[in-house]
Amino acid sequence: MSITRRKLLGTSAFAALAATFVGLPGISLAQSTSPVRALTLYSRAQAANPQQYQAAELIAQAWSDLGLDVTVSGLPQNQLSDIVWYNRDTWDVTMWQMVGRPERSDPDEFVMNLFHSSNAATGFNFVGYNNPAYDAIAEAQRLEMNRDARKVLVAQAQQKINEDQPYAFLVYPTKSYAYNTAVFDGTTLVDAPGLGIKNFMTFITVNPTGTQRDLLMNVSNELNAINPYYISGAGDSWMTELIWDRIMRIGADGLPQPWAAESVTWNTEGTVATIVIRDGMTFHDGKPVRVEDMIFSLESPKKEGTAPMYRPFVDPIQAMTKVDDRTFTLTLAKPNAAFETSTLAKLNIIPEHIWAPLLTALAAGESAESVVEDTRVGSGPFKFERWNQSEVVLAADKGHFSQPKVDRVIMRVVLNVEAALGMVRSGEINFLTDYTGDPELLLSTAKDAGNIEVMDVVDIGFQFLAFNNRRPPFNDPVFRRALSYAIDRRLITGAAWNGFGRPANSHVSPALPFWYDASTEALPQGADLAKKMLADAGYTIVSGRLNYPAGVTEALK
Amino acid sequence: MRYVLSRLFYSILVLWVVGTILFFMFRLMPGSPLTAFIDQTSTLEQQQALIARFGLDKSLFQQYLAFLGNLLQGDLGQSFFHRRPVMDVVLEALPNTIILTLSSLILAYVFGVLAGAYLAWRRGSVAEGIGIPIALATRAAPEFWLGMVLLAFFSFHLGWFPAGGANSVGLQYSSNWARVFSWDFLHHLILPMMTLAIYLQGLPLLLMRSNMLEVLQEEFVTMGKMKGLSSRTILLNHAARNAMLPVATAFALGVGNAIGGNVVVETVFSFPGLGRLLVNAVSASDYPLAQGAFLIITAVLITMNFIADISYRLLDPRIRIASSI
Repeated sequence: MSITRRKLLGTSAFAALAATFVGLPGISLAQSTSPVRALTLYSRAQAANPQQYQAAELIAQAWSDLGLDVTVSGLPQNQLSDIVWYNRDTWDVTMWQMVGRPERSDPDEFVMNLFHSSNAATGFNFVGYNNPAYDAIAEAQRLEMNRDARKVLVAQAQQKINEDQPYAFLVYPTKSYAYNTAVFDGTTLVDAPGLGIKNFMTFITVNPTGTQRDLLMNVSNELNAINPYYISGAGDSWMTELIWDRIMRIGADGLPQPWAAESVTWNTEGTVATIVIRDGMTFHDGKPVRVEDMIFSLESPKKEGTAPMYRPFVDPIQAMTKVDDRTFTLTLAKPNAAFETSTLAKLNIIPEHIWAPLLTALAAGESAESVVEDTRVGSGPFKFERWNQSEVVLAADKGHFSQPKVDRVIMRVVLNVEAALGMVRSGEINFLTDYTGDPELLLSTAKDAGNIEVMDVVDIGFQFLAFNNRRPPFNDPVFRRALSYAIDRRLITGAAWNGFGRPANSHVSPALPFWYDASTEALPQGADLAKKMLADAGYTIVSGRLNYPAGVTEALK
Repeated sequence: MRYVLSRLFYSILVLWVVGTILFFMFRLMPGSPLTAFIDQTSTLEQQQALIARFGLDKSLFQQYLAFLGNLLQGDLGQSFFHRRPVMDVVLEALPNTIILTLSSLILAYVFGVLAGAYLAWRRGSVAEGIGIPIALATRAAPEFWLGMVLLAFFSFHLGWFPAGGANSVGLQYSSNWARVFSWDFLHHLILPMMTLAIYLQGLPLLLMRSNMLEVLQEEFVTMGKMKGLSSRTILLNHAARNAMLPVATAFALGVGNAIGGNVVVETVFSFPGLGRLLVNAVSASDYPLAQGAFLIITAVLITMNFIADISYRLLDPRIRIASSI
């Protein structure tokens, strides 16, 4: 074997030598094209996100068949975001994910934020995708108040992204939740599209049938904050949405409906909303919820540096005016189809009497995110009781207009996935809300136990591979398309995600059936196709390495 | 007295060296603390204001001086993530960790010493043939694996013990003392304690055994036998007492080691404590907290070392005399 190889090497070296002397045309071609540089494909570390890492390895394998030299590099989350998010010119390709949130049940956030060129410098468009035609569609869908007309625009946006492939979408993961059927009446759970049974409405309506009247849920990460101006991770956002009420809430149908407001009425242009608040609401400290508190909640994040995370959502608001003790008007600069979902159903109603002094006392450079309250006062259906390293305890607010059926919600920090599973079986928890382990194990455990019901849901969020659209060769849509087509999504869904997911090719998930454009599913795939596309575009293979088309040289190292 | 003072001086020196290494180590780590701390949508000016607020805009040397100055005053700084003084955060997590560590160490050492002495006495027997490989295997087994096995058997299969945490879900106590002395806490403590104890018992067992084998060759043991003392008396009153000295040192050092080494057990059993705090702090680049937690672990380790040194002199007159010559 080794002899043959040496012989082979000798032969090719000889050929090259001979060719240099003779000046064969083949060699001059090789000299005029330059090889694509070695690429690093970033991913979360294998231990932290085994699915993502395995997908990265499969992709690297597929791409090396095209003649690319790809190395997978697994990094901890904060190092990864340091590179990808804060040093946007320095990387080539990375695995990434967008998670599902209730307010993302309107397609606007993903359509606008992920790919509009105005977000390329510091915003969510971290891949630097820049297509004026796409920008126009994204802006138009936001202004379009007619749902059917808007649907056409959202579909166009999806097709544009499908053509340009700024991401290679991989999979919409299936999430699994489970609850104890001996504790809860299963018919009282709300199964919301894209969110599953773990959503705000379930916490209100779920009915305990026996003596256990506490809802005991789990979270698999340590909590860092419980703050109405800040979301530090998934776990704390589940708590804030129960403690602090909102003007509107996303209903079981995925659409916003008035909640703390009795009504939200728009003028015909869609620029002025008249909001009438419910009568008799109080904060957990007994003070009434006033129109002023609502205005304060929508206005305070507008001030530079107060609540950077929420600021983009209040930016469209031009003015707010109190009409009477129960009514105020809200004026937008231009119509915004997603406003109810992205702002009125997202921002917490914050008591002005508590937070106005806290905000005034902030030091320079400090934001509301860094405030740690001794207690937390909202007007939501659950009151904050306590929080320590082990758990967060909330108690039902008996005076709330939509009083929960359970007595308490307790969120337990369980870092060990298998232990969480054991806890559902033993009754230590009765609602498995955060399960990242093997889905088959969950199903078999549920089958053995007999009193555990597993509910799956396709996520609004998705897993994808991000190309840095700023850097050659990824600034070439043909190149991106070829690389994307070379990825076998079915293989990845099966091998990396154990089949618990759905192959993806759109930034609007099929979990939002009204907006999802199913035509994007017809994605051609295969290594041969990818090779042909690259060859047609002028890319060549020289001694096993993919080279740029003639005349293009590697500009980067 | 002079001896005590010189040991004390060395202890402080070591603490300073460790503190310095920690300080620079965390700052040389890749990944900015700001990625964890500052939201991705905040503006550049806001980020700079925050950098200034935490003194991260000053030179590394200036930061180091400030760090040392604060340290002298017992101020470990403000945690980036918890937004509270590091001392408060650490002190909150410390009791659980100390109880877990001490109880499992005591269990491990009581068992290890007795079993080690017994195995030495029964040298060449079947008991030794079985005992030694078991001790070696449990000592070599990874903690998380041991923990998972215990969890799978005693919690999932038999249902005797809860699967995680330090207290039952939603229980509240009037004070930390009431909580720690409750039946519920003990119930939650047993599995993690057993895991750690099984992991730790190998060292005292093997140490005790080899010391015993040495001591048993000594003339005073033969003398005891000749005097007609019972095996039990010779074993416990004469041989074991002499063989225990190095084990006492190992115990003192074990306290420090185990406090830092609880990370795995605390994670497997979701047991709130210092180890978990530490992992979270390191992965979030929360310098002050990670530094503070490591420093406290170092301080405990050094203190225990100091106590071991002193107690050794008390336990063994020979050392006392040798150092005063």
